[in-house]
Amino acid sequence: MIERDDLDMLAAEFVLGTLPVEDRQRVQRLRTTHPELDAQILQWESRLSALNDEIEPVDPAPGLFARIERSIDQLEQASSQHNEVVRLRQQVSRWRLSTAAASIAAMLLIAVMMLEPTPTESPYVAVFQHNDEQPAFLLTVDLARKQLNIQPVTARPAGNQSYQLWIKDDELGPTPRSVGVLNEHFEVDPAALTNYDAELLRRATFGISLEPRGGSPTGQPTGPALHGFLYPTGEGADTNRL
Amino acid sequence: MASDHPVTAWLHAVAEKDRTAFAELYRATAPKLLGVILRILKDRARAEDVLQESFIKVWQRAALFDETRSSPITWLVSIARNAAIDALRKQPAEREGQETDIDEIPSRSPNVIDRIDDVQAQARLNRCFEELDKDRADMVRLAYLNGWTRDALADYFEQPVNTVKTWLHRALKQLKRCLDS
Repeated sequence: MIERDDLDMLAAEFVLGTLPVEDRQRVQRLRTTHPELDAQILQWESRLSALNDEIEPVDPAPGLFARIERSIDQLEQASSQHNEVVRLRQQVSRWRLSTAAASIAAMLLIAVMMLEPTPTESPYVAVFQHNDEQPAFLLTVDLARKQLNIQPVTARPAGNQSYQLWIKDDELGPTPRSVGVLNEHFEVDPAALTNYDAELLRRATFGISLEPRGGSPTGQPTGPALHGFLYPTGEGADTNRL
Repeated sequence: MASDHPVTAWLHAVAEKDRTAFAELYRATAPKLLGVILRILKDRARAEDVLQESFIKVWQRAALFDETRSSPITWLVSIARNAAIDALRKQPAEREGQETDIDEIPSRSPNVIDRIDDVQAQARLNRCFEELDKDRADMVRLAYLNGWTRDALADYFEQPVNTVKTWLHRALKQLKRCLDS
């Protein structure tokens, strides 16, 4: 059992930045469900914040704000239907459980939400990243033509590793199935979903993991843990709502 | 909505998806946040990526800002620092843990412009730091400002990692006692 004092040191070292990575991630998750820990973190942030007075401001490149606005436009365009989001969040949790059981610790999960297609709407779909961070990718799927498109939002080149896209649905068995490995421009074969039927695609969960260059050697996600949060997108419905 | 601090007012407006307020907020705070991030990441391009990421978070999370629990600048800096440290842990900077960092650590004399908190808070923190052994004070600063890990601190101070952890905890507890008193 964690003593109060230990919890406070956990909060302090979290703020300081010296926690080992796994502990740091654990604290980031825990604070969302433990108000006491969250409060201690805020107190430490406040105690130490005057240290930042030592830091000289640096002007960002002139175009940076425009870049930020573009990213936000993409997110906003990706307006959401809340219930759908919740449903998908559950779907992702289930998937995470099942992959965890298959001994996969680690993935950047992205689930895709597909709104009911209507004749006037072209590619819709949504993206979210698990956990509490900004979206790494937007994934768009045109269900009618079964074309898919991935756009990086905040995802960075993976260096010597590769991002790999997965699909998971009960009909496909208990484990995720690879859709494809993203190339260095974050592209994947747009026709990679052609063999899946639309009904399955509509209910499937998608994920992206970080794998050794060229893709998972085992045929299953093995990559290191990058957490995401649910970020819906879906053109059409209600784009002005956000 | 009356708010003492213009940044607080902007954050409330951003929570309502006010783009103008967001632009104002960016203009006023982005240089400071970039300074914080750059000190940790060292690399300008990476730092700007993390700044972008941070402002996207600000846009998404502004509604979560609670002025009764954080000062607005502290809240913003925390988002930027957390993003920078997470980025650094994923991909350590080439210069991480080097002596050049030490040169960046003044024992006091903060710059006058663009203060995070009021002068009193700054003075109090300085006073409390002065009560710490110099090595321990440097450890806390190097961790907080430059993002050093326990391992980097252990190498630099030539101590086992567990000793570093113990020293950090003692220093933090001492700072807390001093600041909260």
